[in-house]
Amino acid sequence: MATLFTLNFVTPRATASLRDSTKGSPIKVPYLNQPWKRVLSPLESRRMQVRAAPDSLSEKVEQSIKEAQEACSDDPASGECVAAWDEVEELSAAASHARDRLKDNDPLENYCKDNPETDECKTYDN
Amino acid sequence: MAVCSAYTTQSLNSTCSISTPAKTHLGFHQKEVVFYRRSSKRGGSGSSSGPCVITCSAGDSQTVVIGLAADSGCGKSTFMRRLTSVFGGAAEPPKGGNPDSNTLISDMTTVICLDDYHSLDRTGRKEKGVTALDPRANDFDLMYEQVKAIKSGVAVDKPIYNHVTGLLDPPELIKPPKILVIEGLHPMFDERVRDLLDFSIYLDISNEVKFAWKIQRDMAERGHSLESIKASIEARKPDFDAYIDPQKKYADAVIEVLPTQLIPDDNEGKVLRVRLIMKEGVKHFSPVYLFDEGSTISWIPCGRKLTCSYPGIKFHYGPDTYFGNEVSILEMDGQFDRLDELIYVESHLSNISTKFYGEVTQQMLKHADFPGSNNGTGLFQTIVGLKIRDLYEQITSSKTAAPLEATKA
Repeated sequence: MATLFTLNFVTPRATASLRDSTKGSPIKVPYLNQPWKRVLSPLESRRMQVRAAPDSLSEKVEQSIKEAQEACSDDPASGECVAAWDEVEELSAAASHARDRLKDNDPLENYCKDNPETDECKTYDN
Repeated sequence: MAVCSAYTTQSLNSTCSISTPAKTHLGFHQKEVVFYRRSSKRGGSGSSSGPCVITCSAGDSQTVVIGLAADSGCGKSTFMRRLTSVFGGAAEPPKGGNPDSNTLISDMTTVICLDDYHSLDRTGRKEKGVTALDPRANDFDLMYEQVKAIKSGVAVDKPIYNHVTGLLDPPELIKPPKILVIEGLHPMFDERVRDLLDFSIYLDISNEVKFAWKIQRDMAERGHSLESIKASIEARKPDFDAYIDPQKKYADAVIEVLPTQLIPDDNEGKVLRVRLIMKEGVKHFSPVYLFDEGSTISWIPCGRKLTCSYPGIKFHYGPDTYFGNEVSILEMDGQFDRLDELIYVESHLSNISTKFYGEVTQQMLKHADFPGSNNGTGLFQTIVGLKIRDLYEQITSSKTAAPLEATKA
């Protein structure tokens, strides 16, 4: 099942560290140089879109899973165990939202949102 | 549109002053100006020289409040994006504020995440051994106060729960919008908050589908494995069944997502069977129906006029009871592969509150990259969004009609 995922080891770290330090400035998106990895036809499932969340969140998720497994090894029904897995769930959701946000940061779209009348951004709908 | 009406009141005070009381004997949270006039004659009965109270109320000071209950926290979820898109514009986090804010603001709508009303932050919950699903971790009094205030047109300072750090951040200002959506785990849990809602929706995902979706979401993360995902779901299940699930009986619309019945032994969770359960008798809400309201219809659109690929599409519509309430259920099983399937289905649905032919299809295409755009989840979410727009328009037009009658009388 792992072969279905395309993992970019190099560029997500660059984008992640860029994102942490300069929030708001445009990010270099690796897919501009590798367009075959980017485009999906509409109505197709998103299973090919795989990119790890920013490092700090990913590490938090990993750590929380370890803690939850430790907490549950003593007593699976205790409050600590349940709260620990709830934390895992919360962090996984936050990581997935962060991933979506990274994906949404298309520099062209961001530019066109503010400057729709420029040549690159004009749309001829009607 | 502002309506001002003048009243005279008897008062023994005889000083000139202008005051704006927050709440008067009229009982409204409105901006009021009280003019006092110095009167030399005192104790006159029925004298028209008493002080005048002029009250002005803006026609749209009453915000329409929608509640959305769904598991697994809040955020920029697909339903909210579809809903705000129906009203036009994209919803974005408040500019210049906390970057980890959960709030989304667009022209017409503001979406508030109910996680912001956690009374215990992550460490607090860990110490007490309590999940976020537990009512003990949430401040329902504050939730009720603030939703009530926003509904009556007063801006509030709402706390922020930071999902990344797990701490409660300093509050942000929320100005009353035209439509307020409160999204989270417990919008219908507290009875007082429930009474403030004009419309409520519950997203009921079945266990198999939930498991499949969480696998898709979490397998990209290092550290997660099938076992950890399963353990996480199992651990939260008791609290979920005790506190979150019972809210579905209060919802006006329930979107239930189940595994498909078209493919035997399907465990991938790609093709879904989605049921839109609509409560009958809700004010300003008329359920969607197929062909004939109140009857039971089974419909397979694929045939001579429309060719579908495997596994096809199957619709079902009929009246039913759900937790003791009369409901109508519209059900779709299968997937859309092509645009013309979608438009064909839309043309046969009735009461979908579209403003023009093909609006549902257009909305679905606008967000074709969202998950669920090719099955019942996207379709019903879009339809519910259109019903909410219709509900909003009905409420606001009935409110502007009422003050007009008052001034005539």
